Amino acid sequence: MSRSGYVAMLDLGAGVVLVCAVVTLWRRSLAAIIRVLALQGVALGGVALVLGLRQHDGALVVVSFVVVAEKGAAIPAVLMRVVPRGPTSRELSPLVNVPASLVAAGALTLLAFAVSGPVVALVPTATGRLVPLGLATVLIGVLAMAIRKKAVSQIVGLLLVDNGIALVAFLATGGFPLVVELGASLDVLLVVVVLRVLGSEIRSRYGVLDLDELQELHD
Amino acid sequence: MLVLAVLAAPLAVSFFSGLVPWRRSVGWLGCWAMVVVSACGAALATRVLHGSSVTTVDGALRVDALSAVMVVVVGLVGTLACWQSVRYLDAEIEAGRCSRRHASLYGVLVQAFLAAMLLAVLAANLALTWVAIEATTIATTFLVGHRGTRRALEASWKYIAICSVGIATAFLGTVLVYLAALHAGSHVHAPASLDWTSLVAESHHLDHGVMRLATALLVLGYGTKVGLAPMHSWLPDAHSQAPAPVSALMSGVLLTVAFYALLRFKAVADGALGPGFPRLLLVIVGLLSLVVAASLLIAQHDYKRMLAYSSIEHMGLIALGAAAGTPLAIAAVLLHVLGHGLTKAVLFLSSGEILSTEGTSEIGEVRALLARRPALGAVFGLALVALLGLPPFSLFVSELGMIRAEVEVGLGWAAGVALACMVVVFAAMTSHGRHLLLGPVGPGEHASRTPGIVVVPLVAALVACALFGMLAWPLAPLLRAAAKTVAL
Amino acid sequence: MTAPPDVAGAVLVAGAQILVVGVGGPLLLGLMRKTRSRLEGRVGPPVRQPLLDVRKLFAKQRIRPQCGSWLFAAGPIVLISTSVMVAGTAPLLTTRPALGQSTDFFGVVFVLLLGSVFLALAALDTGTPFGGMGASRATTIGALAEPALLVAVLAFSIPAHTSNLPALVRDGLSNPQVIASPGRILALAAFVVVVLAESGRLPVDNPSTHLELTMIHEAMVLEHSGPDLALVTVGESMRLALLLGLLVNLSVPWGIATASGMASLVVGAVALAAKVVLAGIAIATFEVFTAKLRLFRLPELLAGAFVLALLGVVTALVAR
Repeated sequence: MSRSGYVAMLDLGAGVVLVCAVVTLWRRSLAAIIRVLALQGVALGGVALVLGLRQHDGALVVVSFVVVAEKGAAIPAVLMRVVPRGPTSRELSPLVNVPASLVAAGALTLLAFAVSGPVVALVPTATGRLVPLGLATVLIGVLAMAIRKKAVSQIVGLLLVDNGIALVAFLATGGFPLVVELGASLDVLLVVVVLRVLGSEIRSRYGVLDLDELQELHD
Repeated sequence: MLVLAVLAAPLAVSFFSGLVPWRRSVGWLGCWAMVVVSACGAALATRVLHGSSVTTVDGALRVDALSAVMVVVVGLVGTLACWQSVRYLDAEIEAGRCSRRHASLYGVLVQAFLAAMLLAVLAANLALTWVAIEATTIATTFLVGHRGTRRALEASWKYIAICSVGIATAFLGTVLVYLAALHAGSHVHAPASLDWTSLVAESHHLDHGVMRLATALLVLGYGTKVGLAPMHSWLPDAHSQAPAPVSALMSGVLLTVAFYALLRFKAVADGALGPGFPRLLLVIVGLLSLVVAASLLIAQHDYKRMLAYSSIEHMGLIALGAAAGTPLAIAAVLLHVLGHGLTKAVLFLSSGEILSTEGTSEIGEVRALLARRPALGAVFGLALVALLGLPPFSLFVSELGMIRAEVEVGLGWAAGVALACMVVVFAAMTSHGRHLLLGPVGPGEHASRTPGIVVVPLVAALVACALFGMLAWPLAPLLRAAAKTVAL
Repeated sequence: MTAPPDVAGAVLVAGAQILVVGVGGPLLLGLMRKTRSRLEGRVGPPVRQPLLDVRKLFAKQRIRPQCGSWLFAAGPIVLISTSVMVAGTAPLLTTRPALGQSTDFFGVVFVLLLGSVFLALAALDTGTPFGGMGASRATTIGALAEPALLVAVLAFSIPAHTSNLPALVRDGLSNPQVIASPGRILALAAFVVVVLAESGRLPVDNPSTHLELTMIHEAMVLEHSGPDLALVTVGESMRLALLLGLLVNLSVPWGIATASGMASLVVGAVALAAKVVLAGIAIATFEVFTAKLRLFRLPELLAGAFVLALLGVVTALVAR
């Protein structure tokens, strides 16, 4: 793999991760959002694979396959099973309308740029430059969690945060030691499973779909 | 060996609880596991008193004085909570609210939760600590929603959603610390770079800009799990809806285990950035927590939520103490962690008893506990006195120590604000407590006994708390050694 | 750049470009209508129908509303002159068009915008409800599309370190990997959305509708007749051809003339025609399968384009 090809592939992978994050804010259909999330997982795995091959880091190659299997296939499959057919599977009225949230996503991307200055300064390589993209994905994920009402879209927001952090970790540090990576992946998978079970329990017992109907507890 | 026993005991009980349907003996087994943990913790404490540390499993687990203190706190509070869990599950099964299978799930999760907390304080690697703290969130979600009511499920959703984001933020901070360590020159080599002793030793080589970013993210992230404002909103919901033993564990130890991670990172950040920046962040979140807790306690009408807000207040105090960061301050913080863990556990456990006998958690609907249920009322009242920081209990000593340390490092103004908030809290909680405890017995009511099996461990915990407060024995050398590991 | 100004050559190039765009624009419109008709199973009007329409309109009498002011008359004229001006100077047939040094991408955007603004003013001028409605809708869309377009232009200019259009096209020719860079792709995607919105195509506006309530562009030009309407039609179709021409030359620049001379100019014209025809057919095909978006959903589409363009800028900055 030539150097410019390697850089271009990293650029492309990181770019896809960020664009997928934006598209989840853009789309309303939950099924489409989950498919975009799966694509993001595959792109993330691709970044890890490219890095692993380039740096001859076997552990990172293993991690990249785990990432694709987990974030590109397993988690979307788990989520897809709770998405009901019909008009309830759309995010109809997020707290902030779609154009405003898209503009906010743009602003958050710029914020990510401003904030990640020290990281880019510390790692002035082809990979370090891309760290702001990961950070922007994290911020967009937090935004998605804050403004979306459907349980599934909140889980998606959480996964965006997680994917963004994973991207930062791969790009900036070449990934954690294998044990930690696997532990973190397992934790994320468990969180998604727990959230999914909890979500279906809430729905089956109380027929509540939107989380803003859960407002009994407050001060 | 002792280190592994600390982890193996709860894990084994957790596994065993999953195999058999729930029965009382399994519950008591969980309690014994926690006694074993406390004993091992005490034994470990004697070995690390002089600043040495015990390392096992290829350097993955390490116990120093700070870890030993935390193990002891988890063990003691865990013993109390597991003791009451038996009674809680008995009552739930008897009332038909809970099947035996559901009860055994409770047993599995509580022990897994305890094991995860113990792993968090034993891990030598900061990323492993993170994995363990994330695991506590997973284990406790179903425990918070164990009662299965709509409110309980709502609380558990909020809990896992907010805490997952918080803990993810902390992970980002950890990533950045790792990045800074990788670029710290030849001193740290990659596999060991998240080992906190080597991090502390090399902290002055770490990149400033990255460490500032990482410190802010870590305070925000672990602060969520500690329940510090402004990321505290999950805490009152989760603590008020969880079963009483789970609330006791969460408030008594889970918050402080997350704070333990913050203390470890603070030592690294102090080395890299000097004390100013971490101190500023901690003072901000600490004071904010105090103000939030004080203002929301005044008009509180639910006694479990009242206790939850009081936890936020105490976490704010601890954050301020850690902000001062001197050995005296850290020792006082750790004593406060222990004292708060014990008294808050006693309060939550007795409030669970009140809830199950009175059937309501509204302050306005419970009256005259001292006259109607003398033993329970007395325990609740005494624990409230302890929580408010009155002598002879250890919280008085630790609060005094933290305030002194804050004044010494020039944070007198923050201590002043904290004292003002504490006065408000004091007034609010005594007023609520008066409603609950005092008053005449109504016509047709008479005093009823509370079983000794409920009262004895709670009284023992309060006595221990008072002993620590009056004599500082046998803790003083251990706390001094622990303070040395992370103080400025 | 340092060669002495070749006035005759420049006039020749500019004349050729204006001719190609001026004749090609209406033909492109006819081609797109024909494609749609064929795909929908109809025969459709011949490709040269718009040209015939224009000829007929020029022969007709000009009728202007009594209440209209000079603005009403100025609208079509400003529109056609801006289109001609851009057609003369943009890098369409060659990378060295007349006045090429001053053909700035931002400048082109603003000149084209001037035409739209005057058309909207002319529509408002007569005070009829449809003209006003169309103008307000068109300006709403314009106000949303313009920022996206400007940011997309910025994303194009960052890697090349210039916003000079001919230089951008030359840059694409000399290092093709620039075209495939993520920042460029994002900006291009945003540019496509904006082109669709600006030229009044589906899913933003339905160019073949005659239902007054859904019309945007058609509602604006209801009052124009005869030669005025002919100017508007030619001007609008030239705009479409210009935007598509720029789009294809920025994304696939191959075939454009790099040297001066008649032969390379002809080659450039053929290449441009082929590329634009393909793009036009693609858009027409897309329109067959698309429904018009509700007006309230348009901001979402254009905000999406804006964010894509912004991300393009960000990635371009990152990859610098």
